[in-house]
Amino acid sequence: MAPEADRAGDAWSFEAIGTRWQVETGEPLSEEAQREVRAIIDRFDAEWSRFRPDSLVSQLARGAGWVSAPADADTLLAVYADLSAATSGAVNPLIGDVLERRGYDSAYSFVDHGPVAAAKNWQEQVRATDGRLVLDPPATIDVGAIGKGRLVDLVLACVRRHVGGDIVVDASGDLAARGTAVRVALEHPYDTTRAVGVIELEDAALCASAVNRRVWGDGLHHVLDARTGAPVERFAATWAVASDALHADAIATALFFDGGPELAHAWGADWVRMTTDGRLQWAPDSKAELFT
Amino acid sequence: MIRTTARPLRVGAAVVGIAGTLTLAGCASATTSGSGSGTSDENAAATSGSSDASGSGAYKDGTYTAEGSYQTPESVETISVTVTLKDDVVTEVSINGSPTRAESQQYQSQFVGGISDAVVGKKIDTLSVSRVAGSSLTSGGFNKAIDEIKSEAAA
Repeated sequence: MAPEADRAGDAWSFEAIGTRWQVETGEPLSEEAQREVRAIIDRFDAEWSRFRPDSLVSQLARGAGWVSAPADADTLLAVYADLSAATSGAVNPLIGDVLERRGYDSAYSFVDHGPVAAAKNWQEQVRATDGRLVLDPPATIDVGAIGKGRLVDLVLACVRRHVGGDIVVDASGDLAARGTAVRVALEHPYDTTRAVGVIELEDAALCASAVNRRVWGDGLHHVLDARTGAPVERFAATWAVASDALHADAIATALFFDGGPELAHAWGADWVRMTTDGRLQWAPDSKAELFT
Repeated sequence: MIRTTARPLRVGAAVVGIAGTLTLAGCASATTSGSGSGTSDENAAATSGSSDASGSGAYKDGTYTAEGSYQTPESVETISVTVTLKDDVVTEVSINGSPTRAESQQYQSQFVGGISDAVVGKKIDTLSVSRVAGSSLTSGGFNKAIDEIKSEAAA
């Protein structure tokens, strides 16, 4: 899908967490560096994936009560708190139960049992405290809104410990670049051979989210409103640029809801989003080149 | 406000554009005082807002206020409805509503740089770009499962 890289250097591609990763570097990554990257992804997956029965979040969902807090627990919960506040509760890390109920479960059953709201008081239910991640009563954490962004940052940090110069970490939709600017096409959600614009990324991260690919059932997709359990209907795709992928990913999710543009403003993030009727909206002072 | 078993009260579409189901919280308060008996008769047979003036006294006279919410695609709007009942007849209805909607419009100007017409876009292979960002091509597992379901459904 992606056109040939226009920068000299080495590209390492692999599959992990069900998606395609590309790591572009000026000089080849050593095998040791590659192993480290894979280990970082595996660890994150073993902690946060609700699709793995042995993961920490799966243990919590089954009623473990608490687990040793993963390294990213505080960071992720803090960003969820901001997201939840900005979107009036539309974004919620306990959306996992809702996604499962609507059929996006670890067995990929795609059997919809109807909409239900996620726990509104999630911040009382899930806490990182004294080295523990506590979840009481049991519920299913889903860090889909920001998890992959965080992982891209972790991978980039690891790669930077091994090589200097230009680096791009691209996890199909979430990418971070260091060094020479990278031009990124914004894929049209209704025609993936077309782009609605181009964003130039320099020492920044770009995360995209769209409702066109992970789709099942009757109009169901993976972006659900936690307050209702219903799929969002107003926006079809979002793109956000921030200094790191964690925050870009968070904004890309928030932009499906009221309050997203405000959070982007507060964080100084650039963004573009497309309504389901094909119109674009963008940040004030957006640097995106849009084909409107 | 004291919540009791609530009766659903239909608010006409003309009021807020969306017919929302409100729960009438039974906070029966005298119009002149902030507190009341705190009860309402949830077993009453009369339809909310009915004009049945037979005087059966299914509802206590007074002013009832309820907070209700209804859902738009991306937000939950809250409105407050005040109903005055006399002899089971609604004599007055007032609604304070749609605050979020008004805010939304405000930030259209403040936090949104612009809105275009529908965008066709340009062919990606004609652009000078090194990457494409769309929805994540996530989940090998997801796509595989969807394919399986499709093939089962076709069989």
